[in-house]
Amino acid sequence: MNSYKILLLLMGLSIMGCSDLEEEPVGLLSPDGFFSTTQDIQTAVDGSLTHAINEEIWGRKLSIALLLRSDMVDLMPTQARRVEMNMHTISGDNEMVYDPWTRIYLGIAAANNAIAGAENVNLEDEIKNPVTAQAYFARAFYYFHLVRLFGDIPYIDTPVSDIDAASSLTLTPESQVYDNIIADLQFAKTWLPDTQPSRAIPSRAAASSYLALVYLTRAGTSDMTNFQLAFDEAKEVIDNKGDYNLDLDPDFQTLFNANKIDNSLEPIFALDYNSVEAPDNGYDQTSPMTGVRGDFGWSVAVPTMAVYDSFEDGDYRKNVSFQTEATINETLVDYNNFDISGHEHAVNRPYIAKYSRYPGDFARGDKRATSHNYSMLRYAEVLLIAAEAGVEIGSPLALGYLNEVRSRARNGGESTSGGYTEVTIPSSSVPADLTSITVEDVLEERRIELAFEGKRWYDIKRRQLGDQVFGASGYEGLKPDWNSSEDYDTPIPQDEIDRNPNLGGL
Amino acid sequence: MQQQLKFFNIKWIPLVVFILFGSAVYAQQTVTGTVSSQPDGLPLPGANILVKGTTIGATTDMDGKYSIEVEDGTAILIFSYVGFTPQEVAVGDQTVIDVVLIEDASQLSEIVVVGYGARRKSDVTGAVSSVKADELTAFPVLDAEQALQGRAAGVVVQSNNGGEPGAPIKINIRGNTSINASSEPLIVVDGFVGASMPQAGDIESLQVLKDASATAIYGSRGSNGVVLVTTKKGRAGKLTVELNSTYAVQSTANSLDLLNANDFADYQNQIRTNQGNTTPYVQGEYDTDWQDEIYRAGNTSNNQLSFSGGSEKVNYYASGTYFQQDGILVNSGYERVSFLSNIDAQVTDKLKIGLNLTGRLSKKDGVTTQSDGSVTVGGDDVVSLAMRFAPDKGIYNSDGSFSTNDQVGDEVDNPYAVATQRDDDTETEDFRANFYANYEIIEGLTFKTTFGLSTSNEFRGIYMPRTLAVTAGRGLDGRAIMSEDKSKNILSENYLTYQKEIGKGNLTLLAGYSYQKSQNKGFYSEGTGTISDSFSYYGLWTATNLINGQSGDIYTNETEIQSQFGRVNFDYDDKYLITATVRRDGASNFAENEKYAIFPSAAIGWKMSNEDFLSNSETISNLKLRASYGVTGNPSIGAYESLASLASIYASSNGVTVPAITPNQPSNPDLKWESSYQTNVGLDLGLFNGKVSLSVDYYNIDTKDLIMVDRGLPWYLGFYNDEILKNVGEVNNKGFEISINSRNIVKDDFSWTTDLVFSRNKNTVETLINGDDYFQNGAPSYFSVSNTALLREGEEVGLFYGYDYAGVYQGGAFPEGTATIAGGVAGDPLFLDLDESGDISNDDRKVIGNPNPDFTWGITNTFSYKNFDLNIFFQGSQGGEIFNMTNVQLNNGDANTTYDYYNNAWTPTNTNTDQPRAGNNSFREISSRFVEDGSYVRLKNIAIGYTFPSDLIEDLGVQSLKLSVSAQNLLTFTNYSGLDPEVNYFGAAGNNNTASNTVRGFDFGNYPTVRSFSFSLSAKF
Repeated sequence: MNSYKILLLLMGLSIMGCSDLEEEPVGLLSPDGFFSTTQDIQTAVDGSLTHAINEEIWGRKLSIALLLRSDMVDLMPTQARRVEMNMHTISGDNEMVYDPWTRIYLGIAAANNAIAGAENVNLEDEIKNPVTAQAYFARAFYYFHLVRLFGDIPYIDTPVSDIDAASSLTLTPESQVYDNIIADLQFAKTWLPDTQPSRAIPSRAAASSYLALVYLTRAGTSDMTNFQLAFDEAKEVIDNKGDYNLDLDPDFQTLFNANKIDNSLEPIFALDYNSVEAPDNGYDQTSPMTGVRGDFGWSVAVPTMAVYDSFEDGDYRKNVSFQTEATINETLVDYNNFDISGHEHAVNRPYIAKYSRYPGDFARGDKRATSHNYSMLRYAEVLLIAAEAGVEIGSPLALGYLNEVRSRARNGGESTSGGYTEVTIPSSSVPADLTSITVEDVLEERRIELAFEGKRWYDIKRRQLGDQVFGASGYEGLKPDWNSSEDYDTPIPQDEIDRNPNLGGL
Repeated sequence: MQQQLKFFNIKWIPLVVFILFGSAVYAQQTVTGTVSSQPDGLPLPGANILVKGTTIGATTDMDGKYSIEVEDGTAILIFSYVGFTPQEVAVGDQTVIDVVLIEDASQLSEIVVVGYGARRKSDVTGAVSSVKADELTAFPVLDAEQALQGRAAGVVVQSNNGGEPGAPIKINIRGNTSINASSEPLIVVDGFVGASMPQAGDIESLQVLKDASATAIYGSRGSNGVVLVTTKKGRAGKLTVELNSTYAVQSTANSLDLLNANDFADYQNQIRTNQGNTTPYVQGEYDTDWQDEIYRAGNTSNNQLSFSGGSEKVNYYASGTYFQQDGILVNSGYERVSFLSNIDAQVTDKLKIGLNLTGRLSKKDGVTTQSDGSVTVGGDDVVSLAMRFAPDKGIYNSDGSFSTNDQVGDEVDNPYAVATQRDDDTETEDFRANFYANYEIIEGLTFKTTFGLSTSNEFRGIYMPRTLAVTAGRGLDGRAIMSEDKSKNILSENYLTYQKEIGKGNLTLLAGYSYQKSQNKGFYSEGTGTISDSFSYYGLWTATNLINGQSGDIYTNETEIQSQFGRVNFDYDDKYLITATVRRDGASNFAENEKYAIFPSAAIGWKMSNEDFLSNSETISNLKLRASYGVTGNPSIGAYESLASLASIYASSNGVTVPAITPNQPSNPDLKWESSYQTNVGLDLGLFNGKVSLSVDYYNIDTKDLIMVDRGLPWYLGFYNDEILKNVGEVNNKGFEISINSRNIVKDDFSWTTDLVFSRNKNTVETLINGDDYFQNGAPSYFSVSNTALLREGEEVGLFYGYDYAGVYQGGAFPEGTATIAGGVAGDPLFLDLDESGDISNDDRKVIGNPNPDFTWGITNTFSYKNFDLNIFFQGSQGGEIFNMTNVQLNNGDANTTYDYYNNAWTPTNTNTDQPRAGNNSFREISSRFVEDGSYVRLKNIAIGYTFPSDLIEDLGVQSLKLSVSAQNLLTFTNYSGLDPEVNYFGAAGNNNTASNTVRGFDFGNYPTVRSFSFSLSAKF
């Protein structure tokens, strides 16, 4: 009898063994235990950098916002969010502020995830830091955009675990954000290899070049210490261009040809577009946004005629930067007939050519989801940073750096007659070498060389050029709503202030 | 003692009697005899004989014979058997006592199974509804769930999709207690928690536990109520073979009166004229009634064969059932084969073991109806396609390809093509085995252990061939989908029950431990561009474009629940009843800081009829008051939902796609289950010696900590998923339930009984996140409308939301306070301009209807006359409104329409009408003109049966034989203009928990409710 009893009890007890009820998910991507190799860190880094290609950042929202806010690009349609960008009347619920804001912070959180995750990877610094340093670079890249756009911002550099505390953060002052960006870039510069298999993977050259740009930006109009730092850093890149495998590309058109750019030595840091229509808008729409209506474009961001006219005839960069011909309804027309498409936004002016002329493979209609690895920073800009900072600190090298950029523009190259008809543009004497140099000369050279590349608005802000360029004599004519006392900083999205009132400042 | 044990658990009686018998050592006089039963006169094996006032007892053998020793002639013997009226016989000087026990239906129902035990019904303190086995099999049903409709007060049963073969059945007990979590009750079959419902024919008894006193023993899974099912067991005796066979023919109960080709062309031309389009409509050469093309006569057959019997120590029941249905929609069907077997063995005096095995295979041949509208503008939804498709088109084009609707509205494939060309197969396999052992440690103290396993597998394959030009042709080259979901479950329960009489009191204690582990895994894969249509969905591997799996398409989840539970029942003097239960659940899916939860309940009962002042009443034979309060839960958190996670996102490096991750969500360590706090007050009344019995219950359920999505975290935290779950919502359900059972006439030749159930529930939203309105969409997604169903604090759940229709605009100035949507041409619909802006915009929307019925009811009348019986079952719902989404589409101009609209629409010569002109300016607007009363009364079943007299069939070796004919859904009385008032469309989101809790009363593309005529044969050998 007892044996039955014992048997039964054993049966029962054997199955009831206590569980700790801890969940051990297999199919779920959990941050705990994810990181064990450098490849895992790389996966987290790639998760950070890929946010930049999204439509909400360089795919459209931020890139187009920067074009519209500059003095170079006008707006054809009338959507309020874009009008606000073009006219400097940006409100707190503008989606072209809100979307880049949220997406950049996704990129930052992903970088923080990589940096924190790397601490769990049990390998020597010499092995893992060169990978982790990419995450430091990515974080600096994102915060650098934020600090230039907004000034004081919430700054987070670790994965968020205490939701309540993080939800009530206050703003970190601009100068402290810059300190952090510089620290991240210095870490990156220390550990990244000189070169990488692709310019879309951060290298020491990228970290160093961005450091130069950060110092230059931080110098504003008069901070000599930072001008010196900017000059030294830029000069270091120039002096090491052999090690970094950098140089000016002989043909300026190559820089805006998706099929050729990847073999060029000029890009220092680029975004990896791959002609994939990735989920969640992980692709670009820059080509149609700047393209001609009826020719795969939407006629949204179009330069004024004055901008076109401001480029010297004979400057090869004019050929490369402007689309003066288009194929509309199977008819080749020049820009005086761009309105034959009949579309309300079509306009008879040269359009931006840097994105729509050679977009490479694209995965979606209207030349969207391209394979064009847009340069975020290229060697010509490093020369111009050195030139500008050099002028400020009185370096005799400044003039030579500037003329190096001008001289390349005289090369001509394999371009088109203004649309898609390929022609070889012969070399020309324009622009001629300068014999003396001012800060204004360098800024003007930046405007021409880096036209429509998302640089000009940041130049206007750091050099406080607003009152001048948005006045009646500006390329876009008078911007009546421009107010230099408040329009340099972008307002933090109102929705975000509603979520955390501590961001409201005063 | 015997009485109590008997009521405690019927299957332990033989065991107990054995023990008692074994201890009878001082007997002096032997009595023998035979126990037989009425009406069949057959010997009754396993009947119990007890010497009154002692513990001496015996049971009858296979031939109904017994032998018992008594002290002397003053002894009194008590003869009893479950389901029969007990008899007392004074021994005197008799040595042979033959007894005939009389069957008593009311006795049978007096035992109710409760969680981890059984109680005499009169001792139950909670709110429990019992549904009888014969009610479950009164007419042929695929699932026993279906048979519950209108049978139990407070239980609302509805098909998810009308008469679709194999459509899931939704059971709702006392309203929805949640918004985002499931509101389905827990189903417990023979003690297996979370089982699937067995075949109706295999069910011995079914109890619905409704209040917290009854359900709190199931703790975190009890708040939606519990359905306890006991399957049939064998009885000692020789083999009984039973055959139940049903065949039914079915047809659609209703179809819409839609325009023929000529009138359709005229209608389209009216629209063109009204819209200033001078090109006349080119009428096709055909005149097709699409509803005729897709509907057909359906049929159902159900055959069940069971074997049961047993010896004194072992009994068995084994049954197999084959169900087959050809749906009324062409190409839809369902097939299922299932078996169930129960074996119980009395191993020793003290030990009983048993094994319950069940399995089933099913295959559903699906045709999409009620689609969410996300695929090719609703072009997969056969029923709504048949309503909207142009009638001047034929099935085929002249080149033999299938026609498409290419002239009016969005281009779609024709409904016949979609129904016949699209494959949609669902195959399921379910197996369950449950072993138990029951051991009496000492008298009154028993230990029971159970160990069960179940597995469930569902495979689904969908293929859309190229012949469906719009859906899968034109460059897509076929679309294939395959998915599989597999789950397994292990359950181990161990509990002790102790029972003791203490003076006039009777104490029962229960304490136990339970451990359950569930695993669930599966995948979903989809692709286009298959090599050939001939592979059907198996051609997925040839797809040139495999559509990337999203997070959640491939998954594996594991959940563990471990629990301790206990119950105290104390009854005093058969007058005062106290029940208290507690369960402590720990669950792995609960968040880190909230792994454990305690769910207590308590109840009291007072049998007033046993008090002196009522005990002699002629009128009141039973009066009991009950009250209970308790807390139950809804686990409502998916596995891993509270954990921090990363998301996988697209990235490329050096031109190659590479893996990449980004933070998805933070951990949510305080996330917990939803809790329901329920009060129940009830009364059971028996009149005229039990001829009439009545139960009334009032309940109030506050459900708190509802899990809601909080989208309010700052973006700069950088989480990809902005839907953070929080315990903030609150809903209330209160209502009352009445059930009446009346044996109006009980005579030898003629009897008439009436059963009535009535339920009223009011479901109110108390708290929502930040107090904000919470919207759902009850329209198909291609309608491009939103916010049609509303949750608002203080209001009932799922109110219709839209414009308030104010009649037809007759030209001139708008009537005061009204406006049109765009422009304003005579004949356009007018709406109330609530914001007084002069035009109609989103700000003019308001609550325009309430889908919640005031009450639902069911009434069954059973008559028997000699060998005939007649069963009439009406069921109804009163006061709920329906939003006729079908008419939104049919009155929009870009589809066919009804004659009702065509004949009544406003024209310059027909201005006195409330229907706007054809082709007016309001594009698929959601307004009160589509809200209708959805009340109905339905003759759910009428059945007439004939039982052959036994002398007629005895020679054939047949014990009993019954034939019956019945009709289902023969008559429906309603003012609703659509096909059927029992609607259940879930809108753009499809059928998820939130939609099924909050999107109600929308009618669109419903698989029609069927009318069927059934022929049944039931024979026992």
